[in-house]
Amino acid sequence: MAYPYTHEKEVRILSKHFGEPEARTVEGWKARGGYQTLSMAFEMGRNAIIDEVKASGLRGRGGAGFPAGVKWSFMPQDGGRPHYLLCNADESEPGTFKDRELLRWAPHQVIEGMIIAAYAIRAEQAYVYCRGEFFETTQILARAIEEAYEAGYLGKDILGSGVNVDITVHCGGGAYICGEETALMNSLEGRRGTPRIKPPFPAQAGYMGMPSTVNNVETLSSIPFIIQEGADAYRANGTAESPGTKLFCVSGHVRRPGNYELPLGFPLMELIDDVCGGMKEGRTLKGVIPGGSSVPILNAEECANCEMSFEGVIAAGSQLGCAAVIVMDDSTDIVKEVRRMVGFYAHESCGQCTPCREGSAWAEKILRRIEEGRGTEEDLDTLMEVTSQMEGTTICVLSDSVAAPVQSSINKFREEYLSRIRTGEKAGVA
Amino acid sequence: MSEARRIPFNNPGWAGNTGEFQLTEAQVRGDEYVGKRPPEGGHPSGTSTYPYMLAEKDPEAPLFEGAYQERFEKIRSRYPDARSALLPSLGMAQELRGHLSPETMEQVAQLLGLSPAYVRGVATFYTMYNKRPVGRFLIQVCTNISCSLCGGDDVLQAFLNNTGTEMGETSEDGNFTVMEAECLAGCGFPTTVQINSRYYENVMPKDVPEILERLKAQGE
Ligand SMILES: Cc1cc2nc3c(=O)[nH]c(=O)nc-3n(C[C@H](O)[C@H](O)[C@H](O)COP(=O)(O)O)c2cc1C
Ligand code: SF4
Ligand code: FES
Repeated sequence: MAYPYTHEKEVRILSKHFGEPEARTVEGWKARGGYQTLSMAFEMGRNAIIDEVKASGLRGRGGAGFPAGVKWSFMPQDGGRPHYLLCNADESEPGTFKDRELLRWAPHQVIEGMIIAAYAIRAEQAYVYCRGEFFETTQILARAIEEAYEAGYLGKDILGSGVNVDITVHCGGGAYICGEETALMNSLEGRRGTPRIKPPFPAQAGYMGMPSTVNNVETLSSIPFIIQEGADAYRANGTAESPGTKLFCVSGHVRRPGNYELPLGFPLMELIDDVCGGMKEGRTLKGVIPGGSSVPILNAEECANCEMSFEGVIAAGSQLGCAAVIVMDDSTDIVKEVRRMVGFYAHESCGQCTPCREGSAWAEKILRRIEEGRGTEEDLDTLMEVTSQMEGTTICVLSDSVAAPVQSSINKFREEYLSRIRTGEKAGVA
Repeated sequence: MSEARRIPFNNPGWAGNTGEFQLTEAQVRGDEYVGKRPPEGGHPSGTSTYPYMLAEKDPEAPLFEGAYQERFEKIRSRYPDARSALLPSLGMAQELRGHLSPETMEQVAQLLGLSPAYVRGVATFYTMYNKRPVGRFLIQVCTNISCSLCGGDDVLQAFLNNTGTEMGETSEDGNFTVMEAECLAGCGFPTTVQINSRYYENVMPKDVPEILERLKAQGE
């Protein structure tokens, strides 16, 4: 029974067992080759693991694309203080829905990756920070962790190796900003989820002021394959700068939305037209947000030659982010959708930085005015100016996430804004 | 597909149930795998994941006694300090009482040795903590970008119409509170709706009356 939907062009490594309920159990996971990498990893030793992950070129899947092995190597080598591994399962970026699938269909893959990562960075305690809404998902994860304890893969002296790792599931309280790594640490400490000024970086002073590493669920899920098959096998997929496969979360106006695991560098139009079955009946493509709602919108022309790798999407004029591909057809009301996204960021701004707090609220107000046909042409200039002051001036990049959709949509769909302003009509909206 | 295997609606809890597959709703949601977890929380690693949003709520329930006391202690044991246990403790208080009143926050503060003002400051930062009572079923409809593109606003409107409520207000029979939600990470299966602890995906306006009936009849 195939996980709807699947496609023959997929290279299913992380998602291989999606849709198989038995794969959730520890026995089922072992029967599928799981948990073999633990003793391999303990035998390799910490430095060799970090070298292998560095060699694989695995880049963080949480949005920024920072090389995972390099991040691990920032952790202090000496003992003494407790180290922490924090798995980021806060998945809240609009358009993203991959971590939930990884957690509920392949929970042991994440656990196995976490054990190896914790060992490599000398952490005995690891937390999975799950967004609070994931009740069903965290029940599955918690059961899987319990089974892993029963099977001796977690706890003290794992498989007689002398390695100790504990995993605890922690549920958030509903706040997008807690996905930002320093906000996550504050939230885990029982504080308001406000981002911290960096430096110090988490590897120096993270959770409880101790050396910590934050990695995304998908990043950690990729580790067992790298240990099992080696860096070269991992590099067999993807591009030189963006190795490996990636779960692409495709949503919006395609016939078959869903998660598709494809090599990085896969052409965007092939993803839309072939893998996802194309646009809905009689519709044409208007634009794509290729990496979750905080990256610039691409118009149809820019999509034509866009390759879905970190470097490829930058070349096309946007960012890969977490590869949440939001597809919009000619029925899309750009003004309304941009207003909706900006409204989200205005709501989720933690309020610490004035440009972000004030800027996002103003941008939403002005956009709503335009949407309701009460805008002026000067409003577009004001929007551009307000959002340009929001870039690079704040503690975290949530602020920049407001600028991206506003500026890119005004630049690329200006006529649509102007018609709304001049006539109150939705011109260009089929 | 036999009747027992047929999944009600388009797809409750199931990602993309418009293709070909044969899984029961319980298999999709993981109910069979998770089973019935013990009231005192099972293994401490997962104690903070308990189903916080239950239909039955008692605003006067004691904090925390019996099995809940045990759960509280297990949660506390997983962190290096008491403050870190604040969010899970607030979640547990809400599970019991349905919302966090100022008195509830004060009690949680006392249990963890924190000041009431501090706890209020933290609790008000997070949207999942209800500051006032909600209905037996808290219905949260995503209207963010991907759902919005596929008719999320219409689904929200259908819930409001069919429950006869205004946004955020509770229906007269005390059953339903409908709210607009931000992205729930089910964007490929729009519209995604969270009802208490469960996700309903691919919800269309026409499904709404049936979902509400099911809630009244089965409590989930
Ligand atoms: C506003 C904001 C929200 C974020 N949300 C998430 C999130 O939900 N999940 C995630 O993994 N990373 C998120 N990140 C990125 C994290 O800060 C961090 O870079 C990431 O978890 C590191 O993991 P990686 O190196 O494995 O990608 C967010 C960043 C920002 C600025
Ligand atoms: S940029 Fe916005 S969300 Fe980030 S720290 Fe500043 S106010 Fe908070
Ligand atoms: S946009 Fe609705 S679930 Fe993500």
